[in-house]
Amino acid sequence: MAEEIAGRTAAEIRANTASLLEQRRQRRYVMRSLLRSPTFMIGSGIVVFWVLMALFSMHLTQSPFDVNPMSTLQAPSSAHWLGTDDLGRDVLARTLAGARSVLVIAPIATLLALLWGTVIGLISGFYRGITDEVIMRLVDVLLALPVVITSILILSLLGRSVAIVIIVIGVLFTPLVSRTVRSAVLREREHEYVMASRLRGERSWFVMAGEILPNITAPIIVEGTVRLGYAVFTAATLSFLGFGLQPPSPDWGLTISSERLFVQLAWWTVIFPAVALASLVVGVNLITDGLGRVLSK
Amino acid sequence: MSDASAQDVGRTDEAAPAAVDVRDLEVTFHRRGRDLPVLRGITLRIEAGEAYGLVGESGCGKTTLAMAVLRYLASNGTVDRGSVLVDGQDVSKLSEEALRKWRGEAVAMVYQDPAAALSPAMRIGDQICEIFRYHEGLSKAEARVRAREALRRVALPDPDATMRRYPFELSGGQQQRVVIAMALASNPRLLILDEPTTGLDATVEAEILDLIEELRGRINAAILLITHNLGLVARLCNRVGVLYAGRLVEEGPAREIFTDPRHPYTMGLLRCVPRFGMNKTDAALQTIPGTLPALGERKPGCIYADRCPMVKPVCLRREPDLLAWPSDAAAHARAEAEAAPADPLAFSPHHANPVGEAARHARCYFSAEVPEMPATTPVLSAPDAAAAARSSSDVLEMDTVRRSFRDGRKRLVAVHDVSLKINRGETFGLVGESGSGKTTLAKCVTGLIAADSGVISFEGKRLKPTAGRRSQAALRAIQMVFQNPDSTLNPAWSTRGILTRAVRKLGGLSSSAARAKVDELAADVRVEPRFLLQKPNDLSGGQKQRIAIARAFAGDPTMVVCDEPASALDVSVQASILNLLVELQASESVSYIFISHDLAVVRYVSDRIGVMYLAELIEVGSAEEVFNPPHHPYTEALLSSIPTLDFDDSHQRIPLRGSMPSLSEPPSGCRFHTRCHRFLGDICVEQEPPLQEAVTGHTYKCHIPPGELLQLQAATEPTAPIEV
Repeated sequence: MAEEIAGRTAAEIRANTASLLEQRRQRRYVMRSLLRSPTFMIGSGIVVFWVLMALFSMHLTQSPFDVNPMSTLQAPSSAHWLGTDDLGRDVLARTLAGARSVLVIAPIATLLALLWGTVIGLISGFYRGITDEVIMRLVDVLLALPVVITSILILSLLGRSVAIVIIVIGVLFTPLVSRTVRSAVLREREHEYVMASRLRGERSWFVMAGEILPNITAPIIVEGTVRLGYAVFTAATLSFLGFGLQPPSPDWGLTISSERLFVQLAWWTVIFPAVALASLVVGVNLITDGLGRVLSK
Repeated sequence: MSDASAQDVGRTDEAAPAAVDVRDLEVTFHRRGRDLPVLRGITLRIEAGEAYGLVGESGCGKTTLAMAVLRYLASNGTVDRGSVLVDGQDVSKLSEEALRKWRGEAVAMVYQDPAAALSPAMRIGDQICEIFRYHEGLSKAEARVRAREALRRVALPDPDATMRRYPFELSGGQQQRVVIAMALASNPRLLILDEPTTGLDATVEAEILDLIEELRGRINAAILLITHNLGLVARLCNRVGVLYAGRLVEEGPAREIFTDPRHPYTMGLLRCVPRFGMNKTDAALQTIPGTLPALGERKPGCIYADRCPMVKPVCLRREPDLLAWPSDAAAHARAEAEAAPADPLAFSPHHANPVGEAARHARCYFSAEVPEMPATTPVLSAPDAAAAARSSSDVLEMDTVRRSFRDGRKRLVAVHDVSLKINRGETFGLVGESGSGKTTLAKCVTGLIAADSGVISFEGKRLKPTAGRRSQAALRAIQMVFQNPDSTLNPAWSTRGILTRAVRKLGGLSSSAARAKVDELAADVRVEPRFLLQKPNDLSGGQKQRIAIARAFAGDPTMVVCDEPASALDVSVQASILNLLVELQASESVSYIFISHDLAVVRYVSDRIGVMYLAELIEVGSAEEVFNPPHHPYTEALLSSIPTLDFDDSHQRIPLRGSMPSLSEPPSGCRFHTRCHRFLGDICVEQEPPLQEAVTGHTYKCHIPPGELLQLQAATEPTAPIEV
C-alpha cells in the first residue's frame, strides 16, 4: 500500500513538474510577447511613470500647495521648470502630484464596474430568457443616459465626495462591462463541458463561477483596461466641472478648470496638466491594445 | 493510367510538364522560437488530368503540402529546400503580382467548410460574377451569362434562382456546389480539394463525389484530394500518397495501395476502419498504438518504428528510402543499413526522385512482409460478456416524445412522436442525416432539452423533463459523452479536478475515496496517471475523449448517450475509442444510445439500430436486419451512398431526389415521399404509412409490405456493400 502510494506519488511528482514547466513556459511566452510588444511597453512605461509620480512626487519636487504671491504666472524657467500658476504654485509639482487623485478614483471605479458588470453579465448570459431580457433592457436604459450629465445629477443630489464619484463612475460603467461579459458567457455556455456539469446536477452559481468564469478572464481583463482609460477621462471631466476634487487639490481636471481663465496669459498653467491627462489616457489605451493582441492570440 | 491522361492534355510537345511536380520539399514552421520541420523530403508528381489522393492522420502535413503548392504558407512557415513546379512553372519564382494572377487563374482550392468560403453578405450570382469580371475583364452582362453556365455545370437546379440567393439560403451541399463552381470558373489547371465533404451528410457527400467524379472527365485539371476518408480516395483517385509525420511513406496506384498495402502505416490505417457489416461481437477493431511523433522530434531510423508492430533492429539504425515495390531494393537497403555503423545522427540521404521509375514505392525495408503484419489488438476479444449482460428487460422507454423549436413565426418539430424501447446492456444506434432529430432526441433523454409532450420512463419510473429537476440518482444513471473533444472538458480545470468533481457529485464520495476512484477510472479508460495533472489543452483528442468517457462513468451509470463520440478523431484513435466503449459496456453492463453519421461505425457497435428521417423514427430493428433488405427505402438509399474501399463497380448508388424538406412544413402522408425512389403514387402523398413488421422486432414505416419490398430491393440492390 505504502509502496503503491509512493510509486504513484513519484510518478505524479514527475508529471506535476512537467505540467508546471509547461504552464510556466506558457506564462513565459505571454510575458515575452508582452515585453516584445512596443505598444504594451510604451503604454506601461507611461502608466508606471504616473503611478510612481502619484506615490513619490511629493519627495521630488517642491510642495504643490506652496503659495507664493511674489511670483505668480511666471513662465517656465530654471527655478520653475514648468512655470507657476496664478497663486505662484509650481506647475511641475502640481502636474506630477495631480496623478494621485485620478489614479485613486479611476482604478477603484473600474474595479467596481468590473465586479458588478461580471456578476450581471454572468447572470444575464447564463439564465437567458426573461431574466436576460429584463436586465438587458435596464442596461439599454442606463446606456442611453449621457454619462457626464447623469453623474452631475447624482453628485448634486448626494453631495460631492470622492467616494461618491467612484461609485457613480462604477455604476455608469457597469452596463458596458456586463454586455461584454454576457456575450462571452453566451459563447462559453454552449460548450459541452457546461452541459456536462448540468448533467452532474451542479448548482447554477457553481456553473457560472466555477466553470464559465475561469474561461472568460481574457475578455474581462481587456474590458477592464478599456474602461480604465474612460474612467480616467470621466474623473477628470467631473473635476473640471467642479464635481470631483475641490481646491486646493492639484487634480488635473480641477487645475485645467481653474486656470483656464489665464490660458492666453500663461498657457503653461493649463497645457501641462492637459498633456499629463492625455498621456495617461493614451498610456492606458496602449496597454489595452497590447494586451488585447496578445491575449486574443 | 496516368500516362494516358497526360497525353490527353492536347499539348503538342512530347514532354508536357506535370501539373504538379514537387521535388524534395522541406517546410519548417517557426513557433515560439522553435523550428518545427513539418514536411521532409517530399517528392511527388501529379500529371494533368490525374486525381491524386493524399491521406494520413491529422498533423501529418497534408494541408501544409497543399499550402506549399499554392505558396500560401502561414507567415511562420518557410520552404527550406526543394521546389514546387506547377505546370512547369516554379511557384517560388513568381512575383507578388504574378502570384496573385496565377492563384486566380491556374489553381483553385475547395475547403472543408463551404459556408466559410462564401461571403455571407453577397448574393451567389455577384460572387461568381466577380471572378469573371476580375480575372477575365468581362462586362456585367457577359459575366452573368458565364456565371449561369458555371452553376449549370455543377448541376444546381434553376441557376437563375440560385444566383439571386444568399449563401445562408442554400443547404450545405448546394453551398459546396457553388464553391466548386467558383473554383472551376477560371478553368484551373490544378484543383485542390481539402476535405471537401467532411462536414456533409452521407447522401450529400455522395452527390458531391458524383459531381467531382463527373467533372473530372470534363475539366482536364489535375486534382489533389486531401482527406482522412480512405473510401473517398478509393473512389476518386488514380494514385495515392500516404503521409506520415511529414514523410511520404507509401505511394502508388490507389487500387493497389488499398488492396495490397506495402507499408505498415498504410496497413494500420486500413485495418482501423470498421469494414462494413463488421460487428463488435466479431472482433475488436485494430488500432495503431502510440501517437504521432511530436513535431521537430528527430530520431535516427524509421519515423514509424515506435508504432510499428513489425519493427526490427535495423529499422532503428537508419531510415529506409522510398523504395520501389516490387523489387529487391528493400533487401539491398536493409543489408546496407545493417552493415553501416550505428550512427544516431545519420539520416539517410533524401531519395532520388522515384516517380516515373516504378509505379509503387514504400518507405519500408520489409514491404514483402506487410501483408502478414501481426494484429495490434487480439483479433477475438471477449465481447460475449456483453451478450450475456444484455437482456430483454427494457431500461428506457419513450412514448410519443415530441419536441419543437420556434424559428421566428415558424414552428419546427425536431422530434415527432418517437416511441422506442431500449434494453438493458444493449447498444442502440441512431442514424440519420443532420437535422433529422437524432441529437435532439438524445438530449431529451438526458434532460438537456425538455420534451414538449410524451413520456420518457427509466427503469419503470417517469423521468422529469429537464436535468435540473431530476434527482441526483436519475442524473447519475443517465450520462452523456459528447462529440467535440476540444469543448467537452473545461480548459481551466486539471484533468484530475474534472474527474474528482464528477466522482464526488455523481458518486457521492468523500475526498479520500474520490481520489482512489479517479485513479481507478483513469486506469479503466487507459489514461496514464501523469496526464491527470495536465490541463485538457495539453492532451490529445483521443485522451480528452477518454477523460470525457471516464467522467460519464464516474457514477456507474446505467445508460450512456454517446453523441458522435469518435467522429472528430482520426481513424486509429476512433478505433481505440470504440474498442474502449465496447469493453466498458461488457464490464459495466451499461446501455448505450449511440449516434453517428458513419454507418459502418454504427453497424459495428450497435445491437439494434433506429433510422430517423425528418424528425420521425422510420425504422427500428436489429443491426443486421436494418442494414439488409427488406428495409425502408430511405435506409436503402443511405446505405448505398457510403464510399467503400471495395472497388466494386457494380455498387450502384441510389440518388435521392431534391433536398431535405423543411421541418416546419413536413410533406404530407409519408414524409419521405418527395425524395423516395420507390414512390408508389397518391397513397404515399395522402396517407401516413403504416408500421410494417418485417420480422419480430424489425419495423419500418412504409406503404410497401415487407414481402414486396424484399423482392424490389433484392432485384435492384447489387448485394449490400459488405466486405469480408
